[in-house]
Amino acid sequence: MEALIDALLNGLVQGLIYVAIAVGLTIVFGTLRLVNFAHGAFYAVGAYTGLVVAEHYGFVTGLIAAPIAVALFAIVLDRVVLRYFYDKTPTAQILVTFGIALVVEETLRLIFGGTTQQYPTPAFLQGAVQLGPIAYPAYRLLFAVGVLILIGLVWLFLIRTDYGLIVRAGTRDRIMVQLLGGNIRQASTIVFALGAAVAGLVGAAASPIYSIDPGTGFEFLVPSFVVVVVGGLGSFWGAVLGGLLIGELYSITTLVYAPAANVIIYVCMALVLLFRPQGLLGESEVIRQS
Amino acid sequence: MTAAALAPATRLRVEAINTYYGDSHILRDVSLEIGAGETVALLGRNGVGKTTTLKSIVGWLRPRTGSVTLDGRELVGCDMMTIARAGVALVPEERRIFTNLTVAENLKLAQVTARAPGWTLDHVYEKFPRLRERLGNKGDEISGGEKQMLSIARALLQDVKVLLLDEPTEGLAPLIVREVESVIREIKAAGITTLLVEQNLYSALAVADRCYIIDQGEIKFEGTPEQVRSDEELRRRYLHV
Amino acid sequence: MTTASVPAESANAARRSLIASDLRFVLLAALGLALFPLLLHPIGGYAGLATQILIVSVASIAFNLLLGYAGMLSYGQAMFYGGGGYVAAILLLRAMPQHPNLWLAVLGATLVTAILALLVGAVTVRLYGIYFALLTLAFAQMVFFIVEQAKDWTNGDDGLQSIPNAVLPFGPWNLDLTQSLPSIDLGIFGNLGDIKLWYVFAAIVLIAVLLFTRLLTRSQFGEVLTAIRENEERSVMVGFSAPLYRLAAFGIAGALTGLAGALRACYDGTVAVESLSIERSGQFVVYTVVGGVQTLVSPVVGTALIMYLENVLSGKTTAWRLIEGLIFVAVIVFLPRGVLGTLLKQREKNPRSIFVRSLRPRTEEPDPLLKPVAEGHRAGPMSIIETFKLGKLFGRFAANHDIDFRVDPGELRAVIGPNGAGKTTFFNLLSGTIAPSTGTINYKGRDVSRVSGTNRVHLGIAKAFQTASLYPDQTVRQNCRLAALARVQGPFALQVLRRSTRLDDVDALAERAMDRLELTGVAEVRAGDLSHGDKKRLDIAIALATQPQILLLDEPVAGMSKDEARKTEGLIRRLSTEMTVLVIEHDMEMVMGISDTITVLHQGTVLATGTPAEIRDNQAVQEAYLGGHTEAELASG
Repeated sequence: MEALIDALLNGLVQGLIYVAIAVGLTIVFGTLRLVNFAHGAFYAVGAYTGLVVAEHYGFVTGLIAAPIAVALFAIVLDRVVLRYFYDKTPTAQILVTFGIALVVEETLRLIFGGTTQQYPTPAFLQGAVQLGPIAYPAYRLLFAVGVLILIGLVWLFLIRTDYGLIVRAGTRDRIMVQLLGGNIRQASTIVFALGAAVAGLVGAAASPIYSIDPGTGFEFLVPSFVVVVVGGLGSFWGAVLGGLLIGELYSITTLVYAPAANVIIYVCMALVLLFRPQGLLGESEVIRQS
Repeated sequence: MTAAALAPATRLRVEAINTYYGDSHILRDVSLEIGAGETVALLGRNGVGKTTTLKSIVGWLRPRTGSVTLDGRELVGCDMMTIARAGVALVPEERRIFTNLTVAENLKLAQVTARAPGWTLDHVYEKFPRLRERLGNKGDEISGGEKQMLSIARALLQDVKVLLLDEPTEGLAPLIVREVESVIREIKAAGITTLLVEQNLYSALAVADRCYIIDQGEIKFEGTPEQVRSDEELRRRYLHV
Repeated sequence: MTTASVPAESANAARRSLIASDLRFVLLAALGLALFPLLLHPIGGYAGLATQILIVSVASIAFNLLLGYAGMLSYGQAMFYGGGGYVAAILLLRAMPQHPNLWLAVLGATLVTAILALLVGAVTVRLYGIYFALLTLAFAQMVFFIVEQAKDWTNGDDGLQSIPNAVLPFGPWNLDLTQSLPSIDLGIFGNLGDIKLWYVFAAIVLIAVLLFTRLLTRSQFGEVLTAIRENEERSVMVGFSAPLYRLAAFGIAGALTGLAGALRACYDGTVAVESLSIERSGQFVVYTVVGGVQTLVSPVVGTALIMYLENVLSGKTTAWRLIEGLIFVAVIVFLPRGVLGTLLKQREKNPRSIFVRSLRPRTEEPDPLLKPVAEGHRAGPMSIIETFKLGKLFGRFAANHDIDFRVDPGELRAVIGPNGAGKTTFFNLLSGTIAPSTGTINYKGRDVSRVSGTNRVHLGIAKAFQTASLYPDQTVRQNCRLAALARVQGPFALQVLRRSTRLDDVDALAERAMDRLELTGVAEVRAGDLSHGDKKRLDIAIALATQPQILLLDEPVAGMSKDEARKTEGLIRRLSTEMTVLVIEHDMEMVMGISDTITVLHQGTVLATGTPAEIRDNQAVQEAYLGGHTEAELASG
């Protein structure tokens, strides 16, 4: 019983990291139709930024600096390279973002070396919380709550703000938004930076839990793609559902038959693609001329 | 009121535009003029270039040659957002309601993106009482007529200098057609400059101050509704089955 | 008209010149590969690196077969590369530890990966773009983790070490590939003795693979594969089975990648789990994209370039992988044709020499070739196509509903209606592009409602699209040839070596179709460069080259000038003497002029059917077009 609760909680924490990355992937795809293989790099850049800033100015400052740095990085990337690829084929988008991911990864390796690093849990957050029969690390619980709040805030941004309204309209019909005088370009850049900032913040916040190395971005990106595909490319709640599902599936399989844990999530994705290609909560694509 | 007796100042002027889809030449030297406060109808059969004319005005398509001016300001080369913000509002053929947003959100969006406000929401609800009842419904949960009303309402919530209506009665049941027609009459009464594209002759002729007829991408006729009504040969040639 | 019959010697001469060209290619490749390790020496490479480059190149060529020729971006090629390595290693370690035989190990590995590729392909080839890339990636990850966990067989993370050095039985000899060539000092080009027999073997394999892919890409199979990449919608609607072609390409590429992986494992003597990793899959992407996807040889160039830089730079700087990444991004952004592709810019993409010939003398009309395969026409008690209560829902919107429709053989039927009446949807239902939600379609008395569009083409239903759907990069003749090829060969043919020019009727059928639409004068023009009118006519010619019994024309004169429209109208009128023609059109002059019967669709269903005169006088039709008002109302204002 203890083991199961522990596994469920671990699955939740891991799943929430996937959710945080997947939400960015999915809203960027929804608004820009851009498939971003470089999205994992935002997580890694956030984690390293947090690490460096935290060493000098403390953990909390690191948490503030990480999303800001990553958002700026994302805006530069968007303006300098990616915007030329919005109208290209998915293949070209995958290739260029894959290339950017490689460059970021290797730059991080050059600066920080290839060894794994981990930021210690800040002293004021150490310790465990008694949850029924088990004691669970306090930081992990706080992290889970924090990510949930973050996801909620992103949702509120989309649902309550004017920019969010333009973004949501843009996922359905970019032309009509412009015909109404909406600035879809600006809204798109904001969405891109927002998705990146969320990944960066979670990267920094997760570094006391998961050690990081330059390849971390790609390591988290691949399962996050699984999450997005399972949930439905472009669907916000699909990414949330998919992330929790994949996280728990992984964690529980580890408990039951560990060797199958890594395989099962890909089996899950293959099954979804075969029987419900639009994903669990995805809508079948609205085909529209022009 | 001597000013009213004079010809109204030209609000929108389209001069000799040529528009292509890929390499197929759709519009050939199309020229139109719409005076401030006027309601002008652009008539013609399917596929003769009516919608292409509208798309060329709003920057959706870019004419290869020719010019489009709004109160003297050149629009060719501007993007859709800029032209919309200059006060050119298109109510497109397919309505283009955001189906993932509620009716209220669709209206809100139009207010958010407006350069300057037009009608108030209360004014809109007064003219389109059915929309008020549907505020909570998603865009794909309302009828075709309601979609058309919503699409027009979105445009009117903004400070419109020229309203472009693309076949507002298309695909609607006869009863709803009458309703839309009465809305267009109210828009005219409100003094909003309008270019009305129609296949539906009756609707168009009833409300238009002037008409153009387009065929095979060329303007073939310019005149009054009375001229179209009385000239059966003209109608048979360009408008009928 | 170039329709004079061509003597057999000329065909033979052409075939000889093709063989000569292939020979020249092989000799050039052999020469290049002979010089390669020697030229690599002075710039810091070594013979072993040359061997590795050659082996990995085989996998890059396979990847390019998918990306460059079939348009499939696979992110899971490592599952075949590493898979081939593991199968070869396990065969050598377990099945023949005493008498390790390289042939058996490599062939066994190739066979197993081919089967794996067909299995994975069976579930992936129906997906496109991002979904295809991600699903192949998912399968590769599955294989990775399964191999990593099956420790009894694969030794887990440690990989398999000390694979026995396999001999290569060849005739009377048992070759040991680790032996060196005779020692001869070549100055700055190093010593010949540094080069092992492995290099020679790898070079021979690479040349064989290059020759095979060269033949394949120019074969009937390669021709269709390229066509499907260029325009799948059209290819399906001339009768090619796109999924089968993609599956075959995926299988072939998987087998070749497995071959490369097996060779690499045998050469290294070890195989590690990294050979199955995402990074490995990514490497093939990098090699191929950097080289370019335009020609067969460019992936080899990319592989050599990156692997060489990797070896030279990794000794000098820790940043070499960053440099590799920057090169990759720079190539995508600035040289989308790849390094070699940019150097060879003047050459046409996928050069293909079409050999102009026509094997049959021209006959008097009506042409027996273009006439439907069987079937009497004109009149007769049986309808050729008939629908009952046909309907199509898009979500909650009924684009078509309750359509009862019947056309007699030989009829020319126009389908008209206001915008949004559901005309194109109706044609898509008839041609099989979309499946009906309700009702049935009977074609010559047989229910074809569930028959795919591809198979309906082979039954005799062909369509010309509202927006001309062509192969823009190919000539007019080649556009028609592809359609004719589909008719002659069927939905799928695994003809990976033979050229389609060996099939007799193809050229003749294409020639006839061009002749009918008066396109012979532009036969050698790139379809993308045609005028709008010629494009629309070419689309009809493509449909015609499939030898249809029913021709569906969706707005054949839309966007044409008046003269062009009248000319096309005349051509359609002539076609209608040989087959049943259904046409959607807005040009009323044409509709009234050429139709035997007109069907009017309104709000998704049939409003009226009758002769042109009946339709002109039909009150309901007038009201539909005038938006619910009568002519009387209109006149009264």
